[in-house]
Amino acid sequence: MIHQIIFLYFATVILVSALLMITRRNPIHSVLFMLLLFFHIAGLFVLLNAEFLAAVQLIVYAGAILILYLFVVMLLNVDQERQSVRANRFWPWVAAFGVLIAGEILLLISRSTFPGDAGKTMATPGAGVMELGQALYTQYLVPFEIASVILLVGLIGAVMLAKKAVKE
Amino acid sequence: MIPLSWYIMLSAALFTIGVVGVLSRRNIFIILMSIELMLNAANINLVAFSHYLQSLTGQIFTIFVITVAAAEAAVALAIIILLSRNRGSVYADEFNILKG
Amino acid sequence: MNTAISISGLKALLPFLIMTAAAMVVMLGIAFRRDHRFTVLLTLAGLALGGGSLVFTPFAPDRYVTTLVLVDAFAGYYLALLFAAAFAVVCLSYSYLEIQGGHREEYYLLVLLAVLGAAVLAAATHFASFFLGIEILSVSLYGLTAYQRHRDQSVEAGVKYLILAAVSSAFILFGMALVYAEVGSMEFARIAIRAGAAGGALLGTGLVLIIVGLGFKLAVVPFHLWTPDVYEGAPAPVTAFIATVSKGAVFALVLRFFGNMDIRVGGALFLIFTIIAVASMFFGNLLALMQQNVKRVLAYSSISHIGYLLVTLLAAGPLRLNASAFYLAAYFVTTLGVFGVVTVLSTRDRDADKLDDYRGLAWRRPWLAGVFTAMLLSLAGIPLTAGFIAKFYLVAAGIGSALWLLVIVLIVNSAIGLFYYLRIIGAVYSMDGPPGPSMPISLSGSAALGGLTLALLWLGIYPGPFLALIGSLMQTAH
Repeated sequence: MIHQIIFLYFATVILVSALLMITRRNPIHSVLFMLLLFFHIAGLFVLLNAEFLAAVQLIVYAGAILILYLFVVMLLNVDQERQSVRANRFWPWVAAFGVLIAGEILLLISRSTFPGDAGKTMATPGAGVMELGQALYTQYLVPFEIASVILLVGLIGAVMLAKKAVKE
Repeated sequence: MIPLSWYIMLSAALFTIGVVGVLSRRNIFIILMSIELMLNAANINLVAFSHYLQSLTGQIFTIFVITVAAAEAAVALAIIILLSRNRGSVYADEFNILKG
Repeated sequence: MNTAISISGLKALLPFLIMTAAAMVVMLGIAFRRDHRFTVLLTLAGLALGGGSLVFTPFAPDRYVTTLVLVDAFAGYYLALLFAAAFAVVCLSYSYLEIQGGHREEYYLLVLLAVLGAAVLAAATHFASFFLGIEILSVSLYGLTAYQRHRDQSVEAGVKYLILAAVSSAFILFGMALVYAEVGSMEFARIAIRAGAAGGALLGTGLVLIIVGLGFKLAVVPFHLWTPDVYEGAPAPVTAFIATVSKGAVFALVLRFFGNMDIRVGGALFLIFTIIAVASMFFGNLLALMQQNVKRVLAYSSISHIGYLLVTLLAAGPLRLNASAFYLAAYFVTTLGVFGVVTVLSTRDRDADKLDDYRGLAWRRPWLAGVFTAMLLSLAGIPLTAGFIAKFYLVAAGIGSALWLLVIVLIVNSAIGLFYYLRIIGAVYSMDGPPGPSMPISLSGSAALGGLTLALLWLGIYPGPFLALIGSLMQTAH
């Protein structure tokens, strides 16, 4: 019961801050709502016995990626954004479409049964980190190395695009 | 005991909010953050399924997704900086050199 | 199944290791010596070494490396194709970038990394390798598309590609999560077994989301809207790369992922793919008729070509893998050839993408015009060209599985396609072109075009040995 209340709290905050994120005019406010959202998703991960991922979510997503976003927002002109129109001209249609799809999905999900509902869940809290590390460095070693390559791509791409052009 | 379907509903709703954000906002910046919302929705799903299926695959996959999101954000923000430097504007509906 | 990597597993990963090492060497090479020619030579050496290592790679039908990567003959064939195409793209890029100023060396680094991503896709048998491969490819392509930072249209194409590719990746990811929920595994083989049995709502929704995402990457109707803009705005060699390496690798993955599933006639998957294929063929060809820009024409033509290729996915029987392998080889050669001509005609300021740039080309540069004509005729599927034999195989595969609707649509569309290819060829041979050649074609550009022309002639006139090779490779694949 207490778990369900905690879940409902996290879910409510996540959805509300997501809605605020996509509707705010000032991009800095959007980034801050995103931060709130990331924190609560990390909370959900703890609820799901994925403590390591909760830490990664906070350190990498909230700590690194979002800060990067915040830096770029600061570089751009925020004042201009305050006066301009937020959404494109299709937004009422898109929003209606979104509500429709969401309603349909909720209806679909509430009517179906899921394999996980049998009641079995992952082992005791905190025990997963060692298994996670072992799997990551044995079975998932190849994608782990490939994932390091994608960071290299991000590095090179960002440096190449954002550096000032050289004069010839 | 939280039913798995709650997690799926939450992530589906979050994903939908992300899609609406991508389709309706003009500022590319917010569009990119909406894409992050979609990725996070998928992450919630993956971790929840991992928990209920008692398999670590979902959690490991989530680590990869976060890695990818970091790399993608770096390049995407570089392109945004380029765009605002070239044109002084970051609005998606002001792209009209290439007629579509 | 074995979870740790053995020595034989490492041997099987040789081409991937070499490509990663090549990227590192090129990066260090740039740090020590910032020289365009030097970087290109290093890149070409890396690609050649990667291609050469395929000879020593122990391909086997069950050569799984930790369930994530399957290095079989199917993967080997597509790796060879991707490396060869990247080799040609690098040659063309050299001639394209040599006339541009500024730092150009990082471009090749991104090309090498994109090829690595494509190679991972061709060998992927697990969602993790699938997702990472497609992301390495896409993130590299964001950088390459926006590479010409001073051109507004290049940056605009980069942003468009960025948003659509990122959204499609998110769709794929969400779909993967749903499939994982129902199957409890991310291995293609297990998903295929489960999809063959009656799948539930989650599996179905997940597969549809994955199809949407892959549809964006393959640029099939109705997910094609980005294609013409990105093709037009991106630098010509990058467009060639997107059209060949990127789409080819994603198609190899589609064959691997959906090929194992039982796509029955009358099933939902069959219906979805049929609609996508028919719509891609018609929309691609009809919209191409209305374009004035050569790059946009080629964009729509590539949409229809992927539509043709989807016939092999729907066909049953052993012939379909051979048909798609040969079709992709012919499509690679001709597309690279056409974009190669666009590349070598481009100047420092703009790409040669107006139809007027080609008016009277035959009288100014007869050799180049000849190559261009041959490539376009092959794209149109005129007899005696590689494109004709490739299309013939598609039709044979389609008839073999009694896919009459698709075969008829394919033939009708080949006729429509003739119009716009012939319109470009007509411009090439018109008498009212501007006079005089502007500048000589670089050695690397003519070498690449010469090689591609030889490949075209070989595939078109004497395809026997190549078909036999494909047959023997694909026999062991499934």
